[in-house]
Amino acid sequence: METEERDLVRRCLARDERAYRELIRRYQTAVVNLAWRMTGNAEDAAEVSQETFIRVLRSLSTYDPERPFRTWLFKIASNLALDLLRRRKRRPVSIEDLGDEDGPMFEPADPGPGPDEGLRLERADERFDGLVKELPETYQAILFLRYKQELSYEEISETLGIPLGTVKVRLHRAHEALRRKLIARGTT
Amino acid sequence: MRTNLTCEACERELGAYLDGALHPAVAGALESHLGSCRSCRLKLEAYRAIEARLAELPEIEAPAWLESRVLDAVLAQPRRERLWSRGLAAAAALGFACSVGAIAFLPQLAKEWGLPDPAHWPFAALRGALNGIVLFAKRLALDLTFYEPIVRQIWASLRALEALPRAALITLRTPEAETACAIVLTLGVAFYFALRPSRTREGGVGHVCLSL
Repeated sequence: METEERDLVRRCLARDERAYRELIRRYQTAVVNLAWRMTGNAEDAAEVSQETFIRVLRSLSTYDPERPFRTWLFKIASNLALDLLRRRKRRPVSIEDLGDEDGPMFEPADPGPGPDEGLRLERADERFDGLVKELPETYQAILFLRYKQELSYEEISETLGIPLGTVKVRLHRAHEALRRKLIARGTT
Repeated sequence: MRTNLTCEACERELGAYLDGALHPAVAGALESHLGSCRSCRLKLEAYRAIEARLAELPEIEAPAWLESRVLDAVLAQPRRERLWSRGLAAAAALGFACSVGAIAFLPQLAKEWGLPDPAHWPFAALRGALNGIVLFAKRLALDLTFYEPIVRQIWASLRALEALPRAALITLRTPEAETACAIVLTLGVAFYFALRPSRTREGGVGHVCLSL
């Protein structure tokens, strides 16, 4: 853990109000966006974020300073987001449930990208965020943690409480789903 | 080093390869396969483009009220806890002061009110408690002695029912028989309450029952 971050946590433990504010400002965007990716709407994301910071600041004494603070924070946020989904009785969608225009995602006879693939990707760029939002929430969360927060596979595994192999498989499936969606949108 | 990597296995590792999360030996095998497979190479480029776009995904702003609401909730709790702890401390101090005052003035007050010496109060309380326990045990023993023969007789009567033929028991299952049973049970309960106070009166119903 960085010295600056360690110092911030220490000041928060001493109930320094300015340290509380600094910690919230430093991580609020990341937490809100992780919650947004997992819940799918901004109101729920705000609710989850508020609860996350309250819980984090109240239980800071249980935090192990030898572990990355971000991982601990994101773990609490993702658990709260999943709790919210469960309360709303919304089942996190599995990527296998998603059909697309080309049929099953991993058909063995996939011809792979054609020579004009790059051009199609360019054309689909504007709608890329929309395509990401079509993915199941848990996959969006993994993509967000990996490519926006730059967490390692191990950190993602710890944050979401899933095995390392599952992280790899889900990242691969997310890539493949996005590639297929880009191709489908580019050709239609 | 693996050199015979299939396209399917290669595709599975492309994301991890781009993220630098592969073991060097696997990465070497993958690069070797990529060198000879145009389809996988194009897929790698597609994944690379996707990852670049993922890094530029738009983000939403945190709501402006988030910080103040969190701080209100977090800082309010210790305030409440402080108020509680101060209240408890004040109550404890008051209780202690009252105890000290009572101990200091109690002998004098007891003398004025004509009460026994407070030094003997704990022993008096203990004696009272012991007397209460002994009295309760005596009453319980009396009750048991009185009711035990009656319960025994009722139990013997019920056992006698076993001697009834099975057919007779089946006939008891009719609605009329059930009503009769309910009446008998009600009468039994009423009989019990009638017997109970008669235990202390010679010639009461309970004593008459026992003399039968």
